Amino acid sequence: MKPAPFTYEAPTTLAEAVDVLGRYGDEAKVLAGGQSLVPVLALRLARFEALVDLNRVDELAYVREDDGAVVIGAMTRQATVEADPLVARSVPVLAEATRLIGHFQIRNRGTLGGSIAHGDPAAEYPAVVTALDATVTVAGPGGQRQIAATDLYDGPMTSTLSDDEILAAVSFPVWGPGSGFAVREMARREGDFATAGTVVGVTVADGKISRAAISLFGMGPVPLRARAAEAHLVGADASGLDLTEVGAAAVADVDPPSDVHASGRYRTRVASRLVARALESALQEANR
Amino acid sequence: MTAVESGPAAGTQSGSHSGVGRFLGQSVKRREDARLVTGHGRYLEDVLWPDAAHVAFLRSPVARGRITTLDVSAAAALPGVRAVLTGAELNPLAKSFWQTAMGKDSPQPPRRLLAADDVRYAGEPIAMVLADSRYLAEDALELIDLDIDAQPAVVSDHRGVWGAAKDEELVHPEYGSNVASTLPYPGMPTENPALEEVLSSAAHVFEERFHQHRYICVPMETRGLQARWDPARDMLEIVSSTQNVHEVRSMVARLLGLSDLQVQARAEDVGGAFGLKCFVDKEELAVAAAAYSQQCAVAWIEDRNENLVAGGHSRTEDLTVTMATDADGKILGIKGHHVEDVGAYPTYGVGGNAGLAMMMLPGPYDVGQYFYSAEAVFSNTCGMTPYRGPFLMETVAREQLVDIAAAKLGIDPLEFRRRNMITPEQLPFSTPTGLVLETITPIETLDQAAEIIGYEDFRREQAAAREEGRILGIGFASYIEGSPAFGAAGAEQVTVRMDMAGKALVFMGSGSHGQSVETTMAQVVAEELGIDIDDVRIIQGDTTSAPYGTGTAGSRTATTFGGAARIAGQKLKEKILAVAAVALEASPDDLEVSDGVVSVKGTPGAAVTIEQVAAMAYAGHTMLPPEMEPGLEAKHRIRNPPLMFSNACHAAIVEIDRDTGAVDIKRYVVSEDCGNMINPMVVEGQITGGVVQGIGGVFYEHFVYDGDGNPLTTTFLDYLLPTAADVPDIEIGHVVTPSNTPGGFKPMGEGGAICSPPALINAVRDALAPFGGLPNVQPLTPEVVLDVIDGTAAV
Repeated sequence: MKPAPFTYEAPTTLAEAVDVLGRYGDEAKVLAGGQSLVPVLALRLARFEALVDLNRVDELAYVREDDGAVVIGAMTRQATVEADPLVARSVPVLAEATRLIGHFQIRNRGTLGGSIAHGDPAAEYPAVVTALDATVTVAGPGGQRQIAATDLYDGPMTSTLSDDEILAAVSFPVWGPGSGFAVREMARREGDFATAGTVVGVTVADGKISRAAISLFGMGPVPLRARAAEAHLVGADASGLDLTEVGAAAVADVDPPSDVHASGRYRTRVASRLVARALESALQEANR
Repeated sequence: MTAVESGPAAGTQSGSHSGVGRFLGQSVKRREDARLVTGHGRYLEDVLWPDAAHVAFLRSPVARGRITTLDVSAAAALPGVRAVLTGAELNPLAKSFWQTAMGKDSPQPPRRLLAADDVRYAGEPIAMVLADSRYLAEDALELIDLDIDAQPAVVSDHRGVWGAAKDEELVHPEYGSNVASTLPYPGMPTENPALEEVLSSAAHVFEERFHQHRYICVPMETRGLQARWDPARDMLEIVSSTQNVHEVRSMVARLLGLSDLQVQARAEDVGGAFGLKCFVDKEELAVAAAAYSQQCAVAWIEDRNENLVAGGHSRTEDLTVTMATDADGKILGIKGHHVEDVGAYPTYGVGGNAGLAMMMLPGPYDVGQYFYSAEAVFSNTCGMTPYRGPFLMETVAREQLVDIAAAKLGIDPLEFRRRNMITPEQLPFSTPTGLVLETITPIETLDQAAEIIGYEDFRREQAAAREEGRILGIGFASYIEGSPAFGAAGAEQVTVRMDMAGKALVFMGSGSHGQSVETTMAQVVAEELGIDIDDVRIIQGDTTSAPYGTGTAGSRTATTFGGAARIAGQKLKEKILAVAAVALEASPDDLEVSDGVVSVKGTPGAAVTIEQVAAMAYAGHTMLPPEMEPGLEAKHRIRNPPLMFSNACHAAIVEIDRDTGAVDIKRYVVSEDCGNMINPMVVEGQITGGVVQGIGGVFYEHFVYDGDGNPLTTTFLDYLLPTAADVPDIEIGHVVTPSNTPGGFKPMGEGGAICSPPALINAVRDALAPFGGLPNVQPLTPEVVLDVIDGTAAV
């Protein structure tokens, strides 16, 4: 469990990082918190000619408000996100989901951008950005571009970033008043990747649901949006919903994987119940 | 004679019996902890020789097949690589390959250091690279050209579905059969006619087959060994992470055809073992052989991936238990049939724990007629190695069947146990397998556990909770812990040496790997000598200083080493008094020792310090009577019974999430009787650690192979260990009934792991009673549990 040899690059600015990465192309990998990449390297499941370490790029670590959104730099530690007052106030489900990531030691090192760029389909952050319709800013040789979170993944741990692009920031839209959110997951142990999980957001106006988002994680190759169930919710009365039915609708079209921890059948059943639980909690929050 | 204390975490024992003194019976803080918990422990990795070549093994990627290509030339040419060894070079060095405890004539599979011609399990070492660093060694592995013509593997174990013992595909063609061993041994009766009569006539007969999945030791410090052959000194020097340095020396000497005098082995701090480091396996021996053949220093530290895949596996068995009772639930007879998967190369002999499981299956019950049969089978998987409570399947199966039978009979499970347990009046009790139980207290520990957990109150709470749709359950399990001390393991020696400064060095053949030996044995010696515990130091884990011994394993440290330490201490105290009597011109019988001072009873002014006595014993020998040997040193080699016993009862309360099947352990209670406790805190620590391993085994840990023998749980991402967040407070009560061995101690180091699995499974079974039966599978994953709740169990 020792990695194969690699060249170590440690740029101090984003521009320099993009430049260094461009020199290696797909022969290099960006190192953020290292919580997933380093074990993979140690097991020699992957190898790269170079690692481009972003840990000295201070400009990528921030949380700020920008035009009705909360924008978080990619190198912001998960522990910082978890404790940030602006996040707690404006994107509370992001803080809630952060507490489910690994253990505090992992969150001290792990970063928001690293987790989102890595795109583990059973991880919390990709599901949060998928549910909240967040936007990702990536920097490459040709400058910066925006990618909608729902267009970010095209396979397990495969994003639509080019090999020469770096995920720089994530912008979370702040949902309006009357909104509520919840994240629920089943994990074998505290801190594990989810066997199945969901992030739910709703906005309630005049007793009716005006906006709904449901994402599922651990349920497919990428974080999924349960569009049919969302459509079922929008326009419905917030009280008297059949939560079990919504849960069933949310998993109607998914085909989750089976592994040593659980079968796909189990994941489907549990995800539908987690959606019901999360929705109940989100509606309570929206009505407060 | 018996002192009962209720309530958790008793700080000390009551002072009403001989087991308690200034140090004995006190919760003395662990002297090891200051270094171990502040990062100052010294493990193998901390003492690697700077000139050692680092080893990486090329391991088989498949479970079974013929090696068609093995070309190491490119790897050997990589700069920084000192050598690449294959079976062709290394295996001929192996003159003799057997574990001391088994003897050289015991049957075993054909042993080899490295796979040659064929491979027999995924992870089997095929070649070893010696390089300047582990990094370079792993780089070189990638340059080895290996082709294997894969063959169908003999694989078993998954959720109780056994596909083993296909005799047309032999794991070891040389062995002639996939059946490694059977019980009864040849020549023993093949049935018990009286039991058959009972089974055919009893009012009730219950039979269940219980499966226990593969789970494993997983110490924090993995295996490791460094060896240096020094031709100038004619010496092979070894440092190993081991429970038993003398076995390291014996194995290596035998393997290489050296004498014991040409091999020295020692251990530093050992970061856990749980049985994995009792014996010495092929990788460790290959490192020693490489050091000998290459005439240099060689080091290997197993990495976590290797440890999981190839570090030795455990459990992996079925036990079918048939039990006859009368109409009132009195047990009339028990029959067991045990099938074990011992993998390809069990570390000792042909592996298998059926011999001891056979002795212990009756447990704390008066079971009437009895019979036991067993079969151990080879498979193309990692070999079996001992893991804390190796034969615990007897308790895991019996205690589940007790609950199942009680439920079917409509008898409360505690009442069923009380009706069948061995009573105080029956002691000493001879079991059907010839064990003599003298000082066990199964009913007392059952009652104490029930009282601490509040059994009657819980049943009311459970009924109310069920009304609300909550799923709560309670489970109990009782057992006898049998500690085998066969052969040399029952005859350990302790030597106490007091030098001229009056401080005691204590030499032992133990191999502490977390048992607090440096604390508990110092308590015993300080108590006997009447000196401060800080004036005692324990020396172990070194063949050049320790008396010959079999290390720390089998829950024997308190009984064998503790008993020997007590008597050696008494002998030395007698010598101290004899020397002091000369100095004080008094009779030894009139002297007493306290706080490091020897004084004449009733005349405190007439006194000498131990330091003065020690100085006189050595430098003042001309003053001693001619028949008295100078110096202050005493030893005692104990002779213990081959099996010693303690007993306990475990109780668990669980709550189950009806949407996910997740199990939350809400309470966990242990009532135990390990006789006189040297250190109650250490006793409780041992129990707690064992229970955590039981929690892991029942709910989380499972080493999984696919149908082709490919390991699937090769990192901690998939092999799930319980964390602090998954473990409740363990509440412990003590019943203290001294044993008849010196010190009144009993073996208890493994019981936490033995009794917790059935207590936990029984709690889940009780919780799920309204939903129908829990299948006899392990581990109890959330999916298994949810399938019961939803009535969707897989076929």
